[in-house]
Amino acid sequence: MSSSLVRQDLVPIVSGYLILMAALGVGLWLSRRPARAERSSRRGWPRLLRHLAGTAVGGYVLLMAIVVLYYYLVARVAGSFLDSAVTGCATLIGLSLPVFAGASWLAERRSGRRARARVSADDQAPAEGRPRHD
Amino acid sequence: MLSHPVIGYLVWAVLFGALFAWEGLALSHLSGTVPTLSATFRAIMRYPFGRWALFALWLWFGWHIFLRGWHFLLRG
Repeated sequence: MSSSLVRQDLVPIVSGYLILMAALGVGLWLSRRPARAERSSRRGWPRLLRHLAGTAVGGYVLLMAIVVLYYYLVARVAGSFLDSAVTGCATLIGLSLPVFAGASWLAERRSGRRARARVSADDQAPAEGRPRHD
Repeated sequence: MLSHPVIGYLVWAVLFGALFAWEGLALSHLSGTVPTLSATFRAIMRYPFGRWALFALWLWFGWHIFLRGWHFLLRG
């Protein structure tokens, strides 16, 4: 196996695998610990948007850090590799986050409407079946 | 691209088959000890760094599959 193959292919794949498995290991360890009280009292849309933004920014920064390290330490990939990574991943986030937020809003609206319909049906049902005392 | 030996594709097919078989076993609850893929991802997503790592993996995959080497039709 040539050293360039090890540097350019094996090292990134093994590194990605180790990062993911470390994340899994910590997640399993945390799931076996007693649950802590919720720190944030925020609920609803502000919490969801904060969660989404945090995940998107964190994931983007992590990937860019890996890409930049790969480019400068492992292999100078040709074809505007860094430009493509920065703009391409930002494009994906720009496309997916509004779609996800819109889909969440629609799902929330539908479930809210369904819950309201159920409540009004429950309100009507006992009134119809209630015995008369007059 | 299709000039690779068939055995290489067969290995991928077997690996994906094993993945689906393992997930099927987990979903069937025949063995209560096998976690599903979603349970595994849920364990990773319990804390911010795990979510970032998974999101970075998703971004990397999407970038490679859909965007890398792709140009706007009107460009050039």
